[in-house]
Amino acid sequence: MMQIIIQGMLLSGLYALIAMGFMLIFSIGRTLNLAYGAYIMVGGYIYFWLSQQLGMPKIVGFGGAVAVGALMGLLKHRLIVKPLKGDPVAVEISTLILAVIMQSAMVLAFGDASKILLPLIPGVVTVAGAQVTYNILAATIMSWVIILALYAFVRGTHTGRAMQAVSMDEKGAAISGVDPDRINMITWAISGGLGAAGGVFFASYTQLSPSMWVAPVIISVAIVIVGGIGSIIGTLIVAHIIGFLEITVVAVLAPELRGVFTMVLIIGVLIMRPQGLFGREEH
Amino acid sequence: MSMIEIENLSAFYGKAQALRNVSLRVEPGETIAIVGANGAGKSTLLDSIMGLVKNTGTIRMEGQDVTGAKPGDMVRRGVGYAPERFNLFPHMTVRDNLLVGAYTAREDIDKNMDAVHRLFPRLAEREGQETSTQSGGERQMVSLGRALMTSPRILLVDEPTIGLAPKVCVEIAEVLRRLSAEMGLTVIVTEQNANFALSLASRLYVLEGGHVTAEGTAVELAKDDQLAKSYFGA
Ligand SMILES: Nc1ncnc2c1ncn2[C@@H]1O[C@H](COP(=O)(O)OP(=O)(O)O)[C@@H](O)[C@H]1O
Ligand SMILES: [Mg+2]
Repeated sequence: MMQIIIQGMLLSGLYALIAMGFMLIFSIGRTLNLAYGAYIMVGGYIYFWLSQQLGMPKIVGFGGAVAVGALMGLLKHRLIVKPLKGDPVAVEISTLILAVIMQSAMVLAFGDASKILLPLIPGVVTVAGAQVTYNILAATIMSWVIILALYAFVRGTHTGRAMQAVSMDEKGAAISGVDPDRINMITWAISGGLGAAGGVFFASYTQLSPSMWVAPVIISVAIVIVGGIGSIIGTLIVAHIIGFLEITVVAVLAPELRGVFTMVLIIGVLIMRPQGLFGREEH
Repeated sequence: MSMIEIENLSAFYGKAQALRNVSLRVEPGETIAIVGANGAGKSTLLDSIMGLVKNTGTIRMEGQDVTGAKPGDMVRRGVGYAPERFNLFPHMTVRDNLLVGAYTAREDIDKNMDAVHRLFPRLAEREGQETSTQSGGERQMVSLGRALMTSPRILLVDEPTIGLAPKVCVEIAEVLRRLSAEMGLTVIVTEQNANFALSLASRLYVLEGGHVTAEGTAVELAKDDQLAKSYFGA
């Protein structure tokens, strides 16, 4: 029982971190950014390259990953999303293509064999009979810190309020002196940085491989659909529902069924409450 | 020097022309009204001044050419806008809506917030309420308040009383009068009802089919029988 609670908390924290950047773009940029997984994958690889291949300090590897993720988000807004403005299908298709291209680029640069990422913080601690690596503990703490910081930023700063404003009424934001373009660009950069940070922890939780971007995108889509648009708290809660669901299914039923109940949950929510558990009805 | 001076302004939505060679001016401290029926182009005119609609012609503000300026530039130059549909942020509180208005005027937040609360005491009482749950009158107050948070010198107000109860209309009109008298704001207000417009404005422009068909003071315009019939309910 204690095992399940601890493992559930840890996995949920990781999922919340991964889903946060995806939710931001979905809520503010109104884009289902299927290439979000590319930030996660590239984040993992940049960290691997800087800290394991070049032997730089881990913190430099982590910072480099976040910076590259943010830059990718920014470029994607400039080069793809903005020119295609007003055509969500075209944006979604091109972001998906971009993810596949990034996958090939990673194969070219690093080969297609999976790699083991050395943990950010090595070591294991036993809590109430459960084996907990410092690495996933760090991921969980980090995701809580990032989520709280994000919440404070969105609620308490002019830029954060402007992000909410652009998501709710672009014209209203523009006549308040907010440049919606600039705010969208900032949002894409933050999302990319969050994705890359999540990617470093996700890669060290599983392993680094050029196809590792798929699973986190599915998890993110699930969390955002079930949680609903525009709610940081909703994202946090649903990340925990899904994290605990997976851990419980694996422990009680069978590991093969891990993702199945998540899918059932998505379909159930789509039928019963299309705006998500914590989302608001959009008009 | 005129606060705003417009020459030969034309605006298009795709191929449809919404404004045809509109020329008008408003002097500092003056209140003018744009009167016209539904679809005459009133909102398009205000959107054009704000830089929200593509157009041809010239717009000058205090002598400087601002044709093609972006909305953000216009806000920084001192243009506040309370649009017809309010365009509030529905799932944010009254206070947060007002604070977004302060995006470019962060040094003036305390001063402007006090002024808004003095004009609309109700907004102070309801500062934690989401605007999606408010009445039309309250939303109009938030909309005007948000515009005032930008530290404007000229205020564009699009049909401020449309759909509001008569009592609320009187309240809004009173506030617009005070903004002009006490704060020296320049105001452009649009209206379908010329009588209401005349209770505020010194001069009127009549807009028909995107074209200015008459302009002048109340006395001048009342002489025209046809106009009086169409717009003054005579
Ligand atoms: N976004 C738009 N797209 C296309 N046509 C529009 C749009 N907005 C207004 N129009 C047209 O432009 C004309 C002027 O509209 P508008 O400025 O809203 O008039 P008013 O505010 O006086 O009612 C109308 O014929 C209207 O149908
Ligand atoms: Mg209108």
